[in-house]
Amino acid sequence: MIKKIGTLFLRDLKVNKRDFLAMYIIIFPVLFALGINLLAPSINDTTVNLALIEGENPDQVTYLEDFARVEMFKDVEAVEKRVAKRDNIIGVLPDGDDYYVLQQGNEAEGVVDFAKLLVTFYEQDVQLENTNAEIIELGRTVPPLKKLLVNIAILFTSVLGGMLIALNIVEDKVDRTIRAIHLSPVSRKAYILGKSVIGVLLPIYGTAVLVWITGFNDINVGQMMVIVLVSTILSLLVGLIEGLNNDDVINAAANIKILFLPMAAAIVAVELLGDKWQKFFYWIPFYWAYKGNDAVLAGGATWQQILLYSVIVLGLSSVVYVYLAPKIRKGLE
Amino acid sequence: MIKVNNLYHSYNKDGKFAVKDVSFEVKDGEIFGFLGPSGAGKSTTQNILTGLLQLQKGDVTVAGYDIKKISNKMFNKIGMSFEESNVYSKMTAKENLDFYRKLFDVETREPEELLKLVGLRDKANVRAGEFSKGMKHRLTFARSMINNPSLWFLDEPTTGLDPAIASEIKDIIKAENKKGVTIFLTTHNMYIADELCERVAFIVDGEIKLIDSPKNLKLQYGDKLVEVEYIKDGEPNKETLSTIQEDDIKYLQDIIGKYEVQTMHTKEATLEEIFIKVTGRGLV
Repeated sequence: MIKKIGTLFLRDLKVNKRDFLAMYIIIFPVLFALGINLLAPSINDTTVNLALIEGENPDQVTYLEDFARVEMFKDVEAVEKRVAKRDNIIGVLPDGDDYYVLQQGNEAEGVVDFAKLLVTFYEQDVQLENTNAEIIELGRTVPPLKKLLVNIAILFTSVLGGMLIALNIVEDKVDRTIRAIHLSPVSRKAYILGKSVIGVLLPIYGTAVLVWITGFNDINVGQMMVIVLVSTILSLLVGLIEGLNNDDVINAAANIKILFLPMAAAIVAVELLGDKWQKFFYWIPFYWAYKGNDAVLAGGATWQQILLYSVIVLGLSSVVYVYLAPKIRKGLE
Repeated sequence: MIKVNNLYHSYNKDGKFAVKDVSFEVKDGEIFGFLGPSGAGKSTTQNILTGLLQLQKGDVTVAGYDIKKISNKMFNKIGMSFEESNVYSKMTAKENLDFYRKLFDVETREPEELLKLVGLRDKANVRAGEFSKGMKHRLTFARSMINNPSLWFLDEPTTGLDPAIASEIKDIIKAENKKGVTIFLTTHNMYIADELCERVAFIVDGEIKLIDSPKNLKLQYGDKLVEVEYIKDGEPNKETLSTIQEDDIKYLQDIIGKYEVQTMHTKEATLEEIFIKVTGRGLV
């Protein structure tokens, strides 16, 4: 049975490489991860970037490096060119005995204010020891926007796994090859499993690519995979049912998009709504998957927490399975 | 090889049967024709025999397996060539056969050999989506042989093929049968049935009307006929007359005596004519 499941999977993979839509789904995690990284300079800004002229005031450079990321350029023109680029970087340039702050104009207000303060503090010779403020760290070490985008991309990839399953089953129906497979020694169970492999591997590969490209290298991979695998079950079920009940690729893909609605609701609930509203979203498997992913990406998840979320997702997916199983059986007849 | 007893099937389970009390037997090594017009119940019966439709009522044994408890192993012994070709259009002819052979647990035939047999050797690396209807049909036919089936279901195997290719397909069927393969041929083409089948069953409205060999059916139901063309009053005329019925014999003698006969041929009744005579229905 394992050999036949492998044969069915490898066939799907071979054909998917020849199909534009399927290829797009397969490379989507890479594109999304690169997209996140393109935004990364601003997402990653946990400090202010400053552009200064090399050798103009070495003391100032040493002072500013304690509070900001400093880039050096040979002259004013080079600094201006650098500041004009897309990301947030502020130029600090001499004007007689004083310094002026050069900005592009669209930088965040806080970034510009911080640069101004740093220049003033240097001029006033303010040192760290001069502050009475006590620093308390909340443990948030990961850029929140980047974490949010990676988490959304991971959930998205699991839904795309379901879409890929549906595309492959619809192909079997359009070409009527499903009847030929039913007349081979491949059981219905092996057929379902064979068709599902690609829908499981896509989220696993997609998640690995996403966390690797976006730089979440220190996360607990085991915890992440547990969450990804359990959250994939729902997408698998929907992919199978849509594949078996549609004779048209576009219809199947469109119907699967309905999964994006509970997914979006779960993300909005976790990110934007208060505690009193959370209970209204407990029924959505994506809600728990999102929370699990969030905890893992933040690097603060415990196994107890991950297993609890996984059991909840499994339980909710089982309810969906009980509802969909007869339809899947009927679709295979 | 196949035993069917009191088979019934209703698609809506509402008492309206697509197949009613069908019973027949196919012996090892036989070519058995299942003939009838569209909607007669041919495909329903065949789909039950191959496990594509669930058995509702009756007893069916195929290749030694009880269809009530269908085993996947049964499919190692059977092959099926579908009327509507069904191959992966995004895969080449060879890839289609390579993929399908890996699904079987028994020794399989080489794809190149089968493609050569059906005249597609030079198209082995062309995607099936670029094939004509006839080429797809031949590929479907080739695929049905890949597991060396001992029981071969053929659904309209020559439909849509040009006469030369159809003749080659018939030769392949005959050759496989000579090797001992049992063939269950579903068709509404009486000529191919007449040429290939040792026995035929006529099915109409879900019921089998008779089962016999084409030769016996012709002896039993076929009239011996003469087709004569002659000139009467300067105009050409054509008559088909029985050589057994008294009136026709007298009429034929009159024609020969009074008019200028141009052509005269004896004519045997076709299986189609017998089908119409027995069932009262045409084959379309």
